[in-house]
Amino acid sequence: MKQHCDDLEPLIEAIADGSHVPAAEDAAHVASCARCGGAVERARSIENFLAMREVASPSASFTATVMTHVGREKWQTERVIDLGFNLAMAAGVAVILAGAAGLAWSLGFLTITIDTDTIVQLLNREAAGRVLSQVQTIAMSAVLLTMALVLWWWAEAARE
Amino acid sequence: MRVTPEHLLVERCRQGDETAFRELVDQYKGLVFGLIARSISNRARAEELAQDVFLKVHKGLPYFRGESKLSTWIYRIVINVVSQERPELASVSLDDDDDDRPRREPGSEDRAFGDIAIKDRLQKAIERLPVPYQVLVNGHYMKGMRYEDLAEALNMPMGTVKTHLHRAKRRLRHLLETELR
Repeated sequence: MKQHCDDLEPLIEAIADGSHVPAAEDAAHVASCARCGGAVERARSIENFLAMREVASPSASFTATVMTHVGREKWQTERVIDLGFNLAMAAGVAVILAGAAGLAWSLGFLTITIDTDTIVQLLNREAAGRVLSQVQTIAMSAVLLTMALVLWWWAEAARE
Repeated sequence: MRVTPEHLLVERCRQGDETAFRELVDQYKGLVFGLIARSISNRARAEELAQDVFLKVHKGLPYFRGESKLSTWIYRIVINVVSQERPELASVSLDDDDDDRPRREPGSEDRAFGDIAIKDRLQKAIERLPVPYQVLVNGHYMKGMRYEDLAEALNMPMGTVKTHLHRAKRRLRHLLETELR
């Protein structure tokens, strides 16, 4: 008898929800055994309670609250992008200024005293030659400037 | 109400269409909140967690590749959120769970299973189940919840879902027969 109860124990829930139809011998046992019969009854009660449980509904403001949170997160992301944009712009300006200073220095503009002779020198062929000899520096400055503009464009696009 | 096809809704959400995301929230909030509220009895906390699910959905949508259904993916997030809330019940292995030992000897006093207190006892018992069992028991009896979505979200082969469901209910019965009598 006890062995039969132990054998049936794993099947109690399936018998209770109707997904397992017990063999005649098992059904007779369940009908006559207080332990197994009680277990099936309790399993049926649980089954009924589970099936009849109410489904809780979210509050009426649920969607609005979610959308507010989403908006706030988006705003925070935008702030980070804005900060990145500002830093990129500052870095870009610094690089351009440094490039311009370097160029001026290499061309001989950046001296302690700048007099009119220097400007006149720039206009003559010798100065033109100097400019040509600094093509690499000028190209690098142009690349840096382009990078700064691309960063600016990217930051603006991301913000939109 | 006309329901937008899933892939179109996802695509619109990805493009930053807030109306589409609002539609998505409206479409799933009942199931998401219902499922969470059945595991977390504190209503305010359940609502916070449900909102958290949708924030995670919003963040994750750009990376959602559509390999599973949207509903499956959302239920997976629900399971993660509930698991984070109840970490002690999240990492329980179900593989060795063959809790078939009879817990109760015949003839012992039986507290009436039909009384009103069963609701509270049952709720307490459900909250003590491992998270995957909770999700199964809670989701299985919810209208609109698809069996296969639950199985996929829980990484369970369809063939074993019924077995796990029976085990979960057996655990409930044992808890109600013993510790929660």
